[in-house]
Amino acid sequence: MNIYNETLYDSYCQQFTVDKIYFEQKTDHQHLIIFENAKFGRVMALDGIIQTTEADEFIYHEMLTHIPLLAHGNVKRVLIIGGGDGGILREVCKHSSVEQITQVEIDQQVVDMCKQYLPNHSAGAYDDARVNIVIDDGANFVLETNDKFDLIISDSTDPIGPGDVLFTSNFYANCKKCLSDDGILVTQNGVAYMQLDEVTTTATRLKPYFSDQTFYCAAVPTYIGGVMTFAWASDNATLRNQSISLIQQRFNHANIATRYYNPAIHIASFALPQYIVNALENSV
Amino acid sequence: MNRIQVEQANKAQFYKDTVQQHGSPLLLLDCNKIIDQFNVLSDALPNVDFFYAIKALPHPAVIKTLASLGAGFDIASSGEIDLLSSVTTAERPRTIHTHPIKRNSDIRNALRFGCTTFIIDNIWELEKFIAYRHRVGILIRVSFPNPNTKIDLSRKFGCRENEVGLLIHKAQSLGIHIKGLSFHAGSQCPTSQNHVHAINRCIAIINAIYADFGKLLSILDIGGGFPVQYTESVQTIEEFCSPIREALKNLPPHIQLIAEPGRFLSAPAMEAISTVMGKAKRGNTMWYYLDDGIYGSYSGQIFDHVTYPLTTFGDKKENEHAILAGPTCDSIDVIADDIKLPPLSIGDLIIGHQMGAYTYATATHFNLFSKAKIIAINEPVNTTNNILAFKNRKSLIS
Repeated sequence: MNIYNETLYDSYCQQFTVDKIYFEQKTDHQHLIIFENAKFGRVMALDGIIQTTEADEFIYHEMLTHIPLLAHGNVKRVLIIGGGDGGILREVCKHSSVEQITQVEIDQQVVDMCKQYLPNHSAGAYDDARVNIVIDDGANFVLETNDKFDLIISDSTDPIGPGDVLFTSNFYANCKKCLSDDGILVTQNGVAYMQLDEVTTTATRLKPYFSDQTFYCAAVPTYIGGVMTFAWASDNATLRNQSISLIQQRFNHANIATRYYNPAIHIASFALPQYIVNALENSV
Repeated sequence: MNRIQVEQANKAQFYKDTVQQHGSPLLLLDCNKIIDQFNVLSDALPNVDFFYAIKALPHPAVIKTLASLGAGFDIASSGEIDLLSSVTTAERPRTIHTHPIKRNSDIRNALRFGCTTFIIDNIWELEKFIAYRHRVGILIRVSFPNPNTKIDLSRKFGCRENEVGLLIHKAQSLGIHIKGLSFHAGSQCPTSQNHVHAINRCIAIINAIYADFGKLLSILDIGGGFPVQYTESVQTIEEFCSPIREALKNLPPHIQLIAEPGRFLSAPAMEAISTVMGKAKRGNTMWYYLDDGIYGSYSGQIFDHVTYPLTTFGDKKENEHAILAGPTCDSIDVIADDIKLPPLSIGDLIIGHQMGAYTYATATHFNLFSKAKIIAINEPVNTTNNILAFKNRKSLIS
C-alpha cells in the first residue's frame, strides 16, 4: 500500500493512502503530485503540502468567493491571483452579475495540468466568455496594471515556496492600488491554530493600507489542525457587517447552488476564536 | 599493511574489460557492498535510525540503494536536496538537515523538500527559525572535542555543554521546539571512546534539562565516525559499537536514536581504476604517471587524511623503487611515494580500494582533467518492492 505523508509540521501530520498516481512532476525545486485517495478523491500536493482535494475543495472555494462577492453586492470586475486549479474561477463564474474576470497564474502548465487531472475544479469555467487568463507573476501584475477591480482574490500556495511574494507588504500595497473605492481583498491565510504567526504577520502587513482588516474562517478537513483563516481587507467596514437579511436577499438574487456557503455561515464566519482575537490584539 | 599489493597479471582481466568498455579513469561502485555495510551497521546498532550523510558520496545509485533499505538522508546543503530530488524513490526520502550554519534560503529549500528537522549550535542560528517555529523540530549540536580522531569535528561546530540550557531557554521563549541533542565524535575514529563519553554527557544533559526546565528531549543523534579499514587496521564495527551499545543502555528509555553514517556505508563500495599513462626513470626511481590523482579521486589523501590500499598486476619478480603520480602539473600530485613495484608498462592498471567516501566528492577539475567516471553496478531496479519489504523498519523522523 502506497502512503503519502504530508510534511508540513515536524511533530504532526496527515497521511493518505495512494490508490493511483495520476501525475507527478519533480524538478530541482518543486515536487508536484496528483493522486487518488479513497476518501478525498483526487488530491494535489506541492512540496509535501496538500493543496486541494476533490472532496473538500468546495468549502475553500465557496468561502473565498461568495463571502466577499455577496458582502460587496455590486462586484463587476474580479481579479484572481493564482488559483490555477480553476476552483475559484468556477465559483466566481456562478455570479451572472460579474462582468469581467481576470485570472493571473504564473504558469500556463499549472492551468493545463489541472484542466486535465482535476477537471471538476474548473468544470468548464475557463471557457466562460468573461474570463481573461494572464500568465504572469501575480505580484508583478498588480504592480504594473492600471485596471481597477472590485474584488481581488489571492488563492496562493503557502508562504514558503513559489507563493511567497503574495504575502508581502508590497503585494498588499499594490492590491490596494488596483482596487475600486469599495473594493475588497481576500487571501488564503493558513490554519491559525497550527501557524498563528501567519495571521499576525498578515494583519500587521495589511493594516497600513486598509482602514478595515479582519479574518474569517472555515474548517477544511485536509487543511489540518482546525479552522482555516481567510484575510479580509477593505476601506469600507460596513461590507463585513451586513445584515443576514441583506445577504439572504443577495444570495437569493444570485440564485447559485452551494454546498457549504449559506447566509448564516456567511455571518458566522466572521466570528473569530478567542485565541485568534488575542493574537491579533497582541500583535498590534 | 602493504600500501600496494601486486597480484597475478591474469587477475587484471575484469578491470581491463571494464576500462575497455567505459574508458579510464573509472570509479566502480558496487551497490551490493552498500547494502552489506548498511546491514552490518544495523546489526551493530540495532535500535538506531540511520540517515546517510550524502556528502561522503553524493551519487544517485547510492541514494537509490539506501532508500530501498529504508534509510533516511542527512542533508547539509541545497545542492544535496537537489540531488535527492533528482532520484526516483518509491517514497519521499526522510531527511534531517544537519548543517549547523544555514542561509534562510537553505531552510526554505529544506522545508519545501519535506525536511522539518534541523540542527543548530548557537543563538543566531536559532533565531533564523523564528519564522518557521510552527513547522520545525530542532536538535542542538554539542561539541565533545576528540584528540584521537584524524578529523576533529568539534572545533568548527557544536556548542559547549553549558550552553545547551541557555539555548533551550531561549528557544522556549521564542516558541521553537528543541527535540533533542546531536554530537559528532569525529570521523574515522580509531575507537568509540569519545562516542561513549559524548553519550554519557548527553544523558546527563538530557536529565538536567528535564530537571531545570521540565523540557523533554526525545532524540539523540550520535553522528558518525564509524571507521573503515584503509592502510591501517581498525576495529571491526562490532568491536567499535559494542561500547556504544553499553553506553546507550543508560539512556532514558523514551529517547530515540539516530545516526549519520557516511564513510562507513560508502567507502568500501567503490574502487578506483586508473591507467599508467606515462613513465620516466629519474635517478634510481621509476615514476609512473596515472590518469587520476590527488586532484581527482585521490583527493581524500589531502582533504580526508587517508591513504588508500592499492593493487597492481604483474608476474615479474624483480622490484624497483617507484612513485605513483597523478596527471596534473603540480608536484604535490603524488599518490604513493617510495614504494616497491615490479616494472609497469604504459597502459597497465592501478586499482585503489575503499574509495567510496570523500574521494569523488572532493575531486576537482584542476588542469581541466575530467573527474573519473562512476560506473554503478547492482543498482536496485525497482525500489518499490524493496520499500515494501522494509516498510516495517522503525522510522523515527518523517
